[in-house]
Amino acid sequence: MKDLIIAEVYKLFKQSKTFYAITAILIIEFLVLVSAYYQGSAIIDILLSNLKDTFYFEGNLLNGNLLVYLILNTFWFHLPLILIIVVSGMLTSEYKDNTLQTIMLQPIEKWKFVMSKYIVAIGFTISVVFLTALTAFVFSYVFFGKGDLVIYLGTLNFFNSADAQYRLQMAFLSGTVSMVFFSVASMTIAVIMKETTKTWIIAALFLIVSNVLQKVEINSVWYHKWFFPKLNNAWQLLFYQDIPWQEIYRSNILLMGYIIVFVFMGVGIFNKNDIK
Amino acid sequence: MRKLIYITCLFLGTFMLNAQEADSDLLVVKERLDSIIAFTADLELNVDVSFINMPTKYAKMHYKKGSPVNFESDDFVMVPKRGLDLSMQELFKNPFITVDRGKEEVNGTVLKKINIIPTNNKADFAIATLWIDTDVKRIEVSEINTKKNGTYKIFMNYNTSGAILPNKVIVSFEIEKIKLPIQYVAKNVEVDRKKMRKEATKTGNFILNISNYKIDKK
Repeated sequence: MKDLIIAEVYKLFKQSKTFYAITAILIIEFLVLVSAYYQGSAIIDILLSNLKDTFYFEGNLLNGNLLVYLILNTFWFHLPLILIIVVSGMLTSEYKDNTLQTIMLQPIEKWKFVMSKYIVAIGFTISVVFLTALTAFVFSYVFFGKGDLVIYLGTLNFFNSADAQYRLQMAFLSGTVSMVFFSVASMTIAVIMKETTKTWIIAALFLIVSNVLQKVEINSVWYHKWFFPKLNNAWQLLFYQDIPWQEIYRSNILLMGYIIVFVFMGVGIFNKNDIK
Repeated sequence: MRKLIYITCLFLGTFMLNAQEADSDLLVVKERLDSIIAFTADLELNVDVSFINMPTKYAKMHYKKGSPVNFESDDFVMVPKRGLDLSMQELFKNPFITVDRGKEEVNGTVLKKINIIPTNNKADFAIATLWIDTDVKRIEVSEINTKKNGTYKIFMNYNTSGAILPNKVIVSFEIEKIKLPIQYVAKNVEVDRKKMRKEATKTGNFILNISNYKIDKK
């Protein structure tokens, strides 16, 4: 198993699309920073426009913490999309290049082979989120400095710089579970679909539908408390004044449950199917 | 019709009887406040507005006669534009007349209630009401009806009987509900727009604890 994992890591970093993906994430971060630099003041002005008649403001809200929060918002779509492409490609490229047959001629158990892919996919996802967080904090703080964070979530919430930094770090941690979920789901879709383009389309559809369903309000406790699209926004809860920790823990634990289900589903299907 | 004219004359007559150039008690208070040339103080700011969550903020306040009040802070701070004119220079800047509205008990203290009405158009308020403690010669409460920014009320607490400037100020003001630029700064916010329109204007409070006054007096 250990050797399989090492081989998967080697293959992952041998393929150029892994580095394209990492570069794409850095480009997105760069674009967020550049657009914030040019129109960031306007964003703050719009946000506080109604309050300007009543209050004087002293201090700068366009700072590194707001920028990290904007980068964090790539968790909704951009980051999972890139992860889906890379992770699903770990298996579909093996089907496409017919390397799977060669591997299966070796004395390797099928479930161990696909499980090692899941483990490497999870490790890769965690590393990418860590890299995103690290670069987001470093670049944002270097170019924009630290300061209070303002976020609109039904109410206008202000956080002191240190508190904002803590919440952003926790949000990255919580968001990692959500990103792992999408990566694992895309690997399972790859197990089912086998073909690269079809896998990407279905995995992207899965992401889009999850985002849409997250906004849909249905009068159902199961839908709100247990259905996976509703569990993916736990990181956003960290920006309420009083953090609903129980809700965050519950969502993340449930999401981990979904991750395990998707892994077992993928391993089971792969193990059962013949390699053609 | 004739009855209406009599009533109007009677009302205006009563009003004019009480109206005077400037109330003597107010002039004493004004003289005390005018003696302040400049001051600095430390501020602890708390915002009590239903749709704003802000932690306690700290700032330094600088006042110099003839200039607007300045604030200095390492944090981001939000201070009300109105209600921090502790020297009341804005109120007395333009010519005015006063109307004695009698005595009124506020928080267990009997205070003299006076209306201030500006006599030219330059003043940015239409009418101000002051509740003055004549024994200690200072303003305890003021309510100012501005021409453009609604009404705000200021409650002032003093830590000693001889203090000219308050150690605690509560500014109560009307505030418009914020609009929603959520495409920039938030996502996934459930918004009841109908409810928001109904609650277009709200009342908020700004609570200031002021300490370490360094007052430069005449």
